Amino acid sequence: MLHLLKIDLKKMTSYRTFWVICGLYFLTLGFTTASGMEILKWIANKSSEFGASININRIPLYHFPDIWQNLIWISGLFKIVLAVMVVISITNEYQYRTLRQNVIDGLSRWEFLQSKILTNVMLSLVSVGMILSITLLTGFIYTPKIEWEFFFVGAEFFIAYFLEVFAFLSYALMLGVLVQRSGLTIVLLMLSHMIEAIIKVNLFRENWSGNIGWLQQFFPLESITNLVPLPFTRYALQEIQDYVSITAVLIALGWTALFNYFSYLKLKKSDI
Amino acid sequence: METVLSVNKLTKNFGKLCAVNQLDLEVKRGQVFGMLGPNGSGKTTTLGMLMGVVNPTAGNFSWFGEPATHLTRRKIGAVLEHPIFYPYLSGQKNLELNAMIKGADPTNIAKVLDIVELTVRKDDKYKTYSLGMKQRLAIASALVSDPIILILDEPTNGLDPMGIAEIREIIKRIANDGKTIILASHLLDEVQKVCTHFAVLKRGNLMHIGPVDDVGKGEEIVEVQAYHDDLGILLQEFAGSATIKKENGIFQVMMKDGFHSKDLNRFLFDKGIVASHLATRKKSLEKQFLEILADAK
Repeated sequence: MLHLLKIDLKKMTSYRTFWVICGLYFLTLGFTTASGMEILKWIANKSSEFGASININRIPLYHFPDIWQNLIWISGLFKIVLAVMVVISITNEYQYRTLRQNVIDGLSRWEFLQSKILTNVMLSLVSVGMILSITLLTGFIYTPKIEWEFFFVGAEFFIAYFLEVFAFLSYALMLGVLVQRSGLTIVLLMLSHMIEAIIKVNLFRENWSGNIGWLQQFFPLESITNLVPLPFTRYALQEIQDYVSITAVLIALGWTALFNYFSYLKLKKSDI
Repeated sequence: METVLSVNKLTKNFGKLCAVNQLDLEVKRGQVFGMLGPNGSGKTTTLGMLMGVVNPTAGNFSWFGEPATHLTRRKIGAVLEHPIFYPYLSGQKNLELNAMIKGADPTNIAKVLDIVELTVRKDDKYKTYSLGMKQRLAIASALVSDPIILILDEPTNGLDPMGIAEIREIIKRIANDGKTIILASHLLDEVQKVCTHFAVLKRGNLMHIGPVDDVGKGEEIVEVQAYHDDLGILLQEFAGSATIKKENGIFQVMMKDGFHSKDLNRFLFDKGIVASHLATRKKSLEKQFLEILADAK
């Protein structure tokens, strides 16, 4: 297993595009999640110009335990950047025909896919580690008084976050294996949410909350989004889902397994 | 001799097109086996199936007497069609990657780079290499695991005469080490120079298989030239002439069984003619190849 991961990392670590994209990903992710207070201040400033005053200290954006879900939800927006990297990594193998040479050299097709999946696991874990450290750092800075009995409420969102990133990267890998061309795959990846939304609108017209509305949660991208629900509406005094739903996890796990299985089927059946 | 590769009724269809049709082959240890055929005759498709990148429609094959898996492929060094490497990696790094996949000893890398004379350029990116260097790196990558068997598909494609000579030298050296080599090519001269056995494919069908030494057996062609105006007529009187052709001012006499060049020489001498050129020619592989393909029509 480790050997296969090493093979894929060997391909990546001398590839400049890999470092540029990953660098940009971690920089923007880090700065955005760490500068929420500055953004709040800016909003408060703007709105005071219109005569409305917002007391930003009453919005516990970075306070334990709110901070877990807040930062993780924001981080989820950036996973598309990693997904593009994954698409480039797999479509390069088709474009350079190195997948063919890898198999000739003695990797089985399944081993080849495993090496890509393991890299996805690693990228997801590094993302989790990054957000975990930013959360702890900013949390301890901004939380006025830490109440330890509530400290870990919501920390399970990290498991959901890991799955959210990994599921999406698996989806990107599958698109890459199926389409094989980088440009087209990236466009499809970007439009995926839109395409799914169009399908849903047409399927559930007039029936959003009716007898088949519950089917929505089984859509692949919707299932990934459902892992970490939007938390910020709670500051506008709305009820939110502040826990990880087991159903959502199971559906997302199912899709993740299917994405990788479809990649496997396609790889196994095609002449390369 | 131990059988290295045994192919049994191997078939591949691409839609309606039959690229390889019920192919039977056997390659034994130590052979340098040439696969000949015009473009599109199914050579690369066959090798692709043997190396696990093309799924056969029917039939099977075995390497070293056992059914093929990805693990058997690690004991084989193969380059199909053209060299394939990561363009952004250096030659050295590409070979390290090959060695990792094959589970080969990384200390072999310096050795194989030396064999193909790429040591000086090993740290340059692959995309900066000339075609000849790419082909040589491909041979290096095939050798990196010190394989028992080597598969080369058109290894001199697109090279200049010097590059072709270099690659041929490398192949001969490897063959002398006792390795089994399967060489696909449409350069007949090349196959005749380095191969011990050969097979001819045409539109996916096996037309001929046998040792290279058998080529031209049983027939002797003698080239004659002399300063005599009626040499052509005289030659027809010679009892050993089967057919006579004139090419580039030289007469080519196909001998009947039991007649040899010395008989022709004596005949001319008796007629008072001294030959200025007299040489025995074996039928070239090229000729035999064209005959095999023509017979098939």
